[in-house]
Amino acid sequence: MTTTRRSVLAGAALAASFALSPAFAQAPTEIELFFPVPVDGQLARDMATMIKEFNETHPAIKATPVYTGSYDETLIKTRAAMKAGKPPAAAIMSANFLLDLKIEGEIQPLDGLIKADGKSNDQFMGQFFPALYGNAVLDRSVYGVPFHNSTPLLYINADHFKEAGLDPDKLPATWEEFAAAAKKLTKREGDRVTRWGITMPSNYDYGGWILQALTQSNGGQWFNVDYGGEVYYDTPSMLGALTFWSDLVAKAKVHPAGVQAGGAVSSAFLSGQSSMVLLSTGSLTHIRSNAKFPYKVAFVPKNVKNEVPIGGASLVIPTGVEGARRQAAWTLINWLTAPEKSGWWSRATGYFAPNMAAYDLPEMKEFLAKNPDAGIAVKQLAFAKPWFATYKTVPVRKAIEDELQAVLSGKKAPKEALVAAQKTADEVMRPYVEQTALKLPTN
Amino acid sequence: MADAVLVTGMAAQWRVAKWRPRRTTLLAFAMLSPSLLFLALFTYWPVVEVAWQALHNQRKIGGPQVYVGLDNFLKLFADPAFRKALVNNLVYAFGTVVPSLVLALGFAMALAKSNRVNTLLRALFFLPVLIPLVAAASIFLFLFLPNVGLLDYHLAKLALSGPNWLGDPDVALYSIMGLTIWKNAGYYMLFFLAGLQAVPADAYEAAILDGAGPWQRLRHITLPYLKPTIGFVLVIGLLNVVTQVDHVFVLTKGGPSDSTNLLLFYVYQQAVESYDAGRAAAGTLVMLALLLAITASSLRTLERSFGEREA
Repeated sequence: MTTTRRSVLAGAALAASFALSPAFAQAPTEIELFFPVPVDGQLARDMATMIKEFNETHPAIKATPVYTGSYDETLIKTRAAMKAGKPPAAAIMSANFLLDLKIEGEIQPLDGLIKADGKSNDQFMGQFFPALYGNAVLDRSVYGVPFHNSTPLLYINADHFKEAGLDPDKLPATWEEFAAAAKKLTKREGDRVTRWGITMPSNYDYGGWILQALTQSNGGQWFNVDYGGEVYYDTPSMLGALTFWSDLVAKAKVHPAGVQAGGAVSSAFLSGQSSMVLLSTGSLTHIRSNAKFPYKVAFVPKNVKNEVPIGGASLVIPTGVEGARRQAAWTLINWLTAPEKSGWWSRATGYFAPNMAAYDLPEMKEFLAKNPDAGIAVKQLAFAKPWFATYKTVPVRKAIEDELQAVLSGKKAPKEALVAAQKTADEVMRPYVEQTALKLPTN
Repeated sequence: MADAVLVTGMAAQWRVAKWRPRRTTLLAFAMLSPSLLFLALFTYWPVVEVAWQALHNQRKIGGPQVYVGLDNFLKLFADPAFRKALVNNLVYAFGTVVPSLVLALGFAMALAKSNRVNTLLRALFFLPVLIPLVAAASIFLFLFLPNVGLLDYHLAKLALSGPNWLGDPDVALYSIMGLTIWKNAGYYMLFFLAGLQAVPADAYEAAILDGAGPWQRLRHITLPYLKPTIGFVLVIGLLNVVTQVDHVFVLTKGGPSDSTNLLLFYVYQQAVESYDAGRAAAGTLVMLALLLAITASSLRTLERSFGEREA
């Protein structure tokens, strides 16, 4: 009797305290996730579905997905929100922006959160493909968690291959074979080309990435992975890569001149105007659902070794997100990058699931059995290296892209272009170099 | 001493005036206050901030904004990309405003008489104005698409191959100019249609009686009467070429090799891609100064030409 009465009293007191002071009530921690969608509108809805499921399974957190446009616009909006003193609890950021954000002190290291979960940084990063470490772990601290990733990939039109007397089961693996196949695949009517052998995107952002793939396939490094103040533009490996591309255009005439935008390249491939293209693995779903002919994919052909850069995006927590919001953001980040969700998002988009365990799940195995092209894309990850990132990544990349575009338009020779690009890039990075590597003890 | 007395006296007077404002003045300010408030918040205050930012920048990476004097302006003028954007913008201004004006005047004169066909045609020529620039640029993206785009598709039927419309540094700016002319001519036509209504019909009748041909009528009657309209459209057109770059953003992002980079897009690049707020602010101020100079000088020329005519 007494116990009952006491418990009733206690219950009443508890109820009263709930009613009187809402502070006691466990109001859900509200967080927002800024996310870009580089592909199409459907994905924005997919993201909303995913976050809804997260909120249902995590009643203590109320996450709101905020669609922030492209990768660039997400960066702008995140920075604007930070300036206004209201940073989002988490954001999906283009993986090559992380170094810049870290240098400017705009994202925070996640080491403390990883440690609190009882893991070392190596244990935590160990769940992801090793190729992704370089753009996520900066100065030995974890700044980003890989969300979805890509690499450049060779796509070919199998019908055109047969028609030109090439074997669609033996795709070009070297530059030699690549150029030879392109020559056979190009069709002309007099001086007019009606079908191009190869087309590679060279617009801003895409062009730099593809040139990085060619440079790395030629044994080059492009940039210093460990230090944000060095790029290797004026080097033999880069000269070879740029000359190879330039020769396809100007000498062999198997690649259209001038800048080719990424969207135009996939249209050219889908409409049969180009037999081979280099595009992101992120285009795989788009090509798969729109190609009206049999297509095949293969590694980017090599001259010296197989190596390509990664692309894609990582989850970051901006500086200034503290306490319960940071913890909630961390819960969301781990939930989004766990094998099951990672795999689901990968199948919806065509991007890789960065979490290796995603590929051990039965639904992923079934998907790869049905779509062997996606399997080839994943295998290339073993030969992938970090994406180009320096202090002021975009202008440093633009320095070489402006020159690449001039070379492909026949305005400049590769060597003079690389010298100019190196000079511009060094100039952009100078303040950083002076404040880091060249800042020496004066006495 | 006398000066001081005078000043105090004026100040006193002013204070009196301030203390007893007229009722109508009060009412006027009360009615203006909502828009004044928003102008102050969203126009004048940002202008002040831009001016402040143009004199400040980071000295230390990731550090605070510090006063750097005219450093931002010096670096701006030393940047070859800025000079290129300036030259591009001049070519773009001349190459879009003049053809748009000529086309608009032609359309307006052809469609000046109101009848059913002309009303329909006017609506058709005006249609591009209704399409937002971003949407128009997205449509032109498909027109300009190499090989499969509308232009190349029809050229291929004639066994011709078009240039790489947006990917050739020698052609891209002209492709973009084509879009601008298509977009703006219909808008300017509207002003000329209104302007033509003001031309008295008896002036034409007199000219015809005097045996003036169509060219003489255009030269000596239509154009002089349209002078204020031309001046107005010129100012609007010049403002447009500096303040509208949505299509550059959609079609080329300033490429290839900066060949389609315009001033406002350059400012965007500095602010967003280079994250250099100081240089972006300096660029904005230079652009504003240019705009003010253009507007002021064209308005003055306009007034002067009016004066002459009346005298």
